Amino acid sequence: MTTFEDWPWQYSFPPFFTVQPNLQTRKIQLAAWCDLVLKYHKANNLYVLDIREAQGSPLFHNVDISRKLSIEGISEVMNEMHRRHNAEPLDKTKNRWHVLWHTLDEWAAILYSWADDTGQLGGVCTFYEIANTSGKEFSGIDQDVLLKALRKLEQRKKAEIIHLDDGNGVKFF
Amino acid sequence: MGNLFGKKKVSRVTEHDKAVLQVKQQRDKVKQYQQRVEAKLEGDRQLAKKLLLSGQRDRAKLLLKKKRYQESLLERTEGQLENLERLIQDLEYAQVELKVVEGLKFGNDALKKLNDVLDIDEIERILEETNEGAEKQQEINALLSGNLSVEDLEDVEREYNELLEMEEAEKNGELKLPDVPPNEPFMQSRDVSPKEIKKEKHLDYCGLLPLSCYLLVRYLFLTTQFEGIKNSLKILNVTD
Repeated sequence: MTTFEDWPWQYSFPPFFTVQPNLQTRKIQLAAWCDLVLKYHKANNLYVLDIREAQGSPLFHNVDISRKLSIEGISEVMNEMHRRHNAEPLDKTKNRWHVLWHTLDEWAAILYSWADDTGQLGGVCTFYEIANTSGKEFSGIDQDVLLKALRKLEQRKKAEIIHLDDGNGVKFF
Repeated sequence: MGNLFGKKKVSRVTEHDKAVLQVKQQRDKVKQYQQRVEAKLEGDRQLAKKLLLSGQRDRAKLLLKKKRYQESLLERTEGQLENLERLIQDLEYAQVELKVVEGLKFGNDALKKLNDVLDIDEIERILEETNEGAEKQQEINALLSGNLSVEDLEDVEREYNELLEMEEAEKNGELKLPDVPPNEPFMQSRDVSPKEIKKEKHLDYCGLLPLSCYLLVRYLFLTTQFEGIKNSLKILNVTD
């Protein structure tokens, strides 16, 4: 069960769950939604959001005031997050999303500094090993998000991804 | 043809890396298996509890037997995991050793190259030339200092000694007085004090003239006196 305590004041404000027609207001509303979605996913260590299922989550459905954000509304929030590099669609229909409370570049930097600090430069490690490092921000990171972040490092020639029959590995440089 | 597919990326991943990765993957799998078994054990324990409560003791016993077997499996996997970890460590250590050997090789090569440059004959030649240069320098020195005459050298020596003496006197806090001229005509004995010398000098130069004058005047005076007495005797008709 997901737990989240840090609801903003807007969460109990009914108009927050209706996409506002006024452009200026909508901009502020979307910004608040982006912020909330990122905080929620970070607190629960969630990486994937499926728009079709999202309405069932307390994130978009406040039972106390019986309000939920429409699918179109969620879609709009996700598109806004995409513009901010905080989300990436997983399919062409843009139903499934990766929620990136750290942008991919940030993830890449975090991973590289971890590898540097633990003396793994020049060594290999499996994705499982990285995701199961305890006490780090990337503990339990989604394998696909990890792959995307490491590809950023690969572009900068700081790492190379190794594909084996079962599972991936990475070598840091 | 080479450019047809663009620049082929050279992989920096070696076969060794792949081998290490594979071992690590096996390790991960064993870990995952352990997690799975642990979760199952916990489930079985809860189930056995429930069965006991509901009175199905035989089933509970059977379940516990199964659990025990799985626990022994878990212990065995623990040993396997240790083996894998050790293998990974060995592989990584071998890599380090390889690096060390490589480093030694590079160092050796560099040293060899340097030694090749430094030829023994060359060094001997250079040293010989250096010696020759030094000898030449000494010769020139000798020639240059030989230009001074013997008197010059003596002068130099004397001046040097004077300086030394002055230095010594200053050190002792004495007032340096000029030496008495050594070639004074009547300066016979050394133990005459300067004051006496001065007196004598005064007599010599300043006292002689008045004395002679005095003697002359006296003589003249006496002669005139004598003449006068003679005349007065004549007046008195006194004849001798």
